[in-house]
Amino acid sequence: MNHLTVLAASFLDADGYGSDRTGRRPWPAPVAEALQRGELEALRWSTLFSSETSRFGRMDFLSRLGLMAVELLDARFEAMEPAQRDAVGVCVETRSGCTVTDRRFLQMPLASTFAYTLPSTVVGEICIRHRFRGPVMCLLPVPGQDGSLETALGWLNRGEAGACVCVACDLLEKKIAASLLLSDDVPPGGWQGCAVLIGRRTEASHDHLWRLDSLPRLARSLCALGPAIPSIDQIGTPGEGTRPTRGPIYGGVGRVPSPGGG
Amino acid sequence: MDPAVTAPRVAIAASGAVNALGLGLERLEQAVRANATGLRDCPRLSGKGYQSTVGGFVPDEVWRQLRERDPAHGDAPAFLLADAALREALLGLQSSGSEAAPGFPGAPTGSCERSHLDATPASRRGLVLSTTKAEITALERAFHQQPCSVTAQRHLFPALLAADLAAAHNLAGPVHCVSLACISGLLAIQQGALLIQEDKADLVFVVGVDLLSDFVLSGFTTLKSLEPGGCHPFDVDRKGLSLGEGAGAVALVRRETLASPALVVKGWGSSNDANHLTGPSRDGSGLALAMNRALQKAGITPDAVDFVHTHGTGTPYNDAMEGMALRLVFDARVPPFCSSKGLFGHTLGAAGLLETLVCLAAARQQMLPGTPGLRTPDPSVPDSLLQTPRRAESLRHMLKLNAGFGGTNAALVLEWEGA
Amino acid sequence: MQLLTDELKNKIIKALNLEAVTPADIKDDEPLFGAGLGLDSLDALDLVSMLERDYGILIQDMEVARQAFASYRSLEEFVQRHRQ
Repeated sequence: MNHLTVLAASFLDADGYGSDRTGRRPWPAPVAEALQRGELEALRWSTLFSSETSRFGRMDFLSRLGLMAVELLDARFEAMEPAQRDAVGVCVETRSGCTVTDRRFLQMPLASTFAYTLPSTVVGEICIRHRFRGPVMCLLPVPGQDGSLETALGWLNRGEAGACVCVACDLLEKKIAASLLLSDDVPPGGWQGCAVLIGRRTEASHDHLWRLDSLPRLARSLCALGPAIPSIDQIGTPGEGTRPTRGPIYGGVGRVPSPGGG
Repeated sequence: MDPAVTAPRVAIAASGAVNALGLGLERLEQAVRANATGLRDCPRLSGKGYQSTVGGFVPDEVWRQLRERDPAHGDAPAFLLADAALREALLGLQSSGSEAAPGFPGAPTGSCERSHLDATPASRRGLVLSTTKAEITALERAFHQQPCSVTAQRHLFPALLAADLAAAHNLAGPVHCVSLACISGLLAIQQGALLIQEDKADLVFVVGVDLLSDFVLSGFTTLKSLEPGGCHPFDVDRKGLSLGEGAGAVALVRRETLASPALVVKGWGSSNDANHLTGPSRDGSGLALAMNRALQKAGITPDAVDFVHTHGTGTPYNDAMEGMALRLVFDARVPPFCSSKGLFGHTLGAAGLLETLVCLAAARQQMLPGTPGLRTPDPSVPDSLLQTPRRAESLRHMLKLNAGFGGTNAALVLEWEGA
Repeated sequence: MQLLTDELKNKIIKALNLEAVTPADIKDDEPLFGAGLGLDSLDALDLVSMLERDYGILIQDMEVARQAFASYRSLEEFVQRHRQ
């Protein structure tokens, strides 16, 4: 029962962005330079997307990263029936939390800033944009412990969601990165947005299996491999049984659902 | 076979609390019985421009006591509160015959045939922490260039606060940290119950904590959502909420390991309104969805619910929305319902825990709580609103609700299995 | 008056981080909230903060704000009447 299917993956950080379909891409030159200097304001919605979005300009950077990562999944959520959207769960994990936004609020106390001084406001933004009304969760992962993938696995196994959007967003100030993360987990530039769309295991969708141990690492691996994913050796045996058992989660990469089917 | 059918039932074996009413569950229970309020004015805060200086402040005497007991955490108030609640729950689990330290509370809330602590190896003991701002005072102090210990700075990051709490009490099993606005507490209880059901732990402490900091006072002032004189939930003249601080803790175990009576965590649900961040048109349907999910998971129909403990903050908006949600789920037969925000304030990340403990107090005494702060009920909310406490004919199934910023909603079904 | 109009419209755009909105897009008689510019209650609160910061106008009661913010024209008249 410890199976789920990754339907799409995406990420963005200081070095580039991408999805499992496009692979990794560099930022356009002027944006790339600004991002290398740590100027996140240079990253606009229009840098990546031609669609409209409501009030991106007033969102804090943490929420922008999460929302953009979900948009990069390019999962055509708008083609879903309302009943399907009602069953999409959203789980966000953030190691950094919103301390950058907290500082901004202290500098200038505004209602719109205060609205984002929660690590979880991005959950609301994602649900609002895509009209998801499934279960919700927001975790600040403790090093070495379970994160959002395990939450999603539980929702799917128990039938509490039909699909899950798991998002990792971080906006780290360098000096505290070391205490929150192992050094090889610090994203380039200290910030990232990563997302995976997960569904129940389907027969059609398992070309290969591998272990899912960290959302950011999984998202980047899938994007680096790009659309032509080579087969890899199966790792271990998925757990079976009538009760969800403890152990690693396995998943495969499947097709992104097409409108009206899949 | 559906795994949910065979999953073990989870119950509360012990608990702890610290808030405006004082230190210990007993004070909470007394205040519920008396329908008292712990809200008070804090003169120290006047002149700072806050919309209200009335809130559920932990008494100075309690702070003094906690700092005396644990000077190493003297400037880390979030830890002190969380730890206080956790310690009371730990004491409550020990085998009968052990005594709490003088002045400190500790009593089991259900009778234990054997000590859960003794029977559970450290690696099978877990912790789930719920908080919205953790040790936000560390950021305030950094901003104002005031001294701050390394410990307090660490606890600005909720995951590190969770890790330190777990380490301090040798909880070497799973450690999680949940932070989803005002529904964090109920989600944390859900997370804790799942750890037991998925056999990842045998004993899970769920702790919720938040401080009544200048940060949140300033924040809610910018939102203009505080009621200057103190909140009046579901009142026709209500104008806003009151903030509070504190910590609540429950120790979760498999129900079968407890002798009757016990409060079972029977079901849960969550949802998002998916409407608007500040949601002026929230019609209660998002909260109703969470409630229906919780009822379905618990395997009960709305008719089986004896009592609803609402979020009931006292803002014009929230209470109206909750009234609508109650009607959507219960139609014409809304069970008796109350709000405890007038008891100890809106304690944010601790709310789900402290308010679940109000439900526990109600169940143990078979008494329906009132709504402190309520003067004249709003005629547009269902009329089963409880103003003052009264005896319950039979209090078995209870529904606990919370709603959070960003349109999030959570519901918990609790079942009292009495003697 | 034109000077105040340009200044105030720019302040609204800046205070509310309205990307891709120019002063010309803020029509004098269209609603600011709900329809028209489509502002919401968080924006109303931010506008109240801006009026305090930039014009010395203190609004305690959001009902006063609601009426003042009905349209750009009513907002400008409000500022003219109450600015310090």
